[in-house]
Amino acid sequence: MEHVIEIKNLTKHYGKNRGVEDITFSVRKGEVMGFLGPNGAGKSTTIRSMLGFLRYERGSIQILGKDAVKQHEQILREVGYMPSEAMFYPGMTVKEVIRLAADMRKLDCRQESEALCERLQVDVTKKVSELSLGNRKKVSIVCAMQHKPQLFIFDEPTSGLDPLMQTMFFSLIDEYVKAGATCLLSTHVLSEVKNYCDRVAIMKEGRLMCVDTVENLTRSNAKRIKMVRDGEHLDYLYKGDLNKIKDELIGHDISDILIEDPSIDEVFMHYYEGK
Amino acid sequence: MVALFQHEMKQNRKNLLIWSLVVGGLGLACILLYSGMQESMAEMAESFSSMGAFADAFGMSTLSLATLTGYFATEIGTIHGLGGGMFAAIVATVMLSKEEDGHTGEFLYSLPISRGKAVTVKALSLSLTILLFQVVCGVLYVLGFVILGEDVPWQEFMTFMGMQLVMNLEIAAICFAVSAVSKKNKLGMGLGLALFLYLYDLMARVIPSLEDYIDIGPYSYANASQIFAGNELSAGAVAIGAAVLAIAVVMAYVGYLRRDLAS
Repeated sequence: MEHVIEIKNLTKHYGKNRGVEDITFSVRKGEVMGFLGPNGAGKSTTIRSMLGFLRYERGSIQILGKDAVKQHEQILREVGYMPSEAMFYPGMTVKEVIRLAADMRKLDCRQESEALCERLQVDVTKKVSELSLGNRKKVSIVCAMQHKPQLFIFDEPTSGLDPLMQTMFFSLIDEYVKAGATCLLSTHVLSEVKNYCDRVAIMKEGRLMCVDTVENLTRSNAKRIKMVRDGEHLDYLYKGDLNKIKDELIGHDISDILIEDPSIDEVFMHYYEGK
Repeated sequence: MVALFQHEMKQNRKNLLIWSLVVGGLGLACILLYSGMQESMAEMAESFSSMGAFADAFGMSTLSLATLTGYFATEIGTIHGLGGGMFAAIVATVMLSKEEDGHTGEFLYSLPISRGKAVTVKALSLSLTILLFQVVCGVLYVLGFVILGEDVPWQEFMTFMGMQLVMNLEIAAICFAVSAVSKKNKLGMGLGLALFLYLYDLMARVIPSLEDYIDIGPYSYANASQIFAGNELSAGAVAIGAAVLAIAVVMAYVGYLRRDLAS
């Protein structure tokens, strides 16, 4: 099985409102795939459709070679999902929540969960109602990882985590991926995509804008041009035939010029803002 | 499924304890008060029995307040019917919607359980919770009879508790269906429904033009005074109750399985 996730022509509307339109992409086994897009782009709709929270109108989703609708329960056995909200039952202790997640999978995950709790500094005796967002996120990480799933799906996992825990979180992902797992990481943080993702899918207004490696995305035709032309400081992204760049210069007094590759942040912002 | 069932029972534990001890305890206290009020009850029974339709509605024209059985049927029967209906409504109304209202749905439904199985487990947990409520209350009422040294009219008592259980399940099924299509907890609606159904039964017993429609309400077949007076249960009322229960459960499944879950 080469592709762990295969989404074809996924279309989902909320009544008359747009959800996602004709989404097609796949995630290869063993890769960390970044899932980027501004708020309302359709990232969560895609993820929630994959996990069976939403009923979609058209298209198909295959996860680990299984149909996301017909074999939903079997898929969830092999998936570790961390939602963006990370909410649990307030009357329960952390230990009870982690135990419930393991019991629902009919697995004894005590060894792995204890190791994860130690590394993430999770106090299992605390009540869920006493936890901050960051601590709830840590419990959510334990619940998503303790059964050593084949596929991780994270929806904005690092919001609320302190920098130390963010580093620990990515080091855990790295370890699981090296052991054979695959990861889909939905995030707003561009540096996370740059540092940890092999490929990235960029969504905008319910449509998939592009899927490519981080390396290829920055190796585009676009160039950042900084120059002082006729005494005016200019700084812009040039897209198009590089041979025609001379048209920007002829007949002008150029006192300084710098042509460079755009940063990855600029590439992403280009897709985000449609510039 | 076992893990979710245990989890649901733990979630219902506090509500069950409070409601069964309050309703059952109130019933027990009323039974124990009976010995002190026994003498004045004879006078009260006489005046109540001459109150026409109102006395009929509360069964005081057929049962005497001067006996513990009559007192139980008219007083404790009302308390238990109302309390049980409200408890069933409260637990059932939030059974499914609490996952979305409390934003725990994404945690629960990312675990390997289908929505259909989740609905089944939650329905079973709801049924067992209601059964336990009836058992705790029933034990407390029997305890009252035993303390006063009175014989328990077992046949009528068990019929009453059994019909109360069915009535509670019917109310719970309707509220469960409401819960299946709600993204927010609709506690007020559930409580309102239980109270409305009780009032409907009362009105149907007082207002002659409503008499033909009394069987529609679930309180009709669970009425204590009718059962303890030895009147035969209306088969039509029980059949309507069973049909409503079945339709509500099917609606809960269809509604919950077809719709999108809120985050």
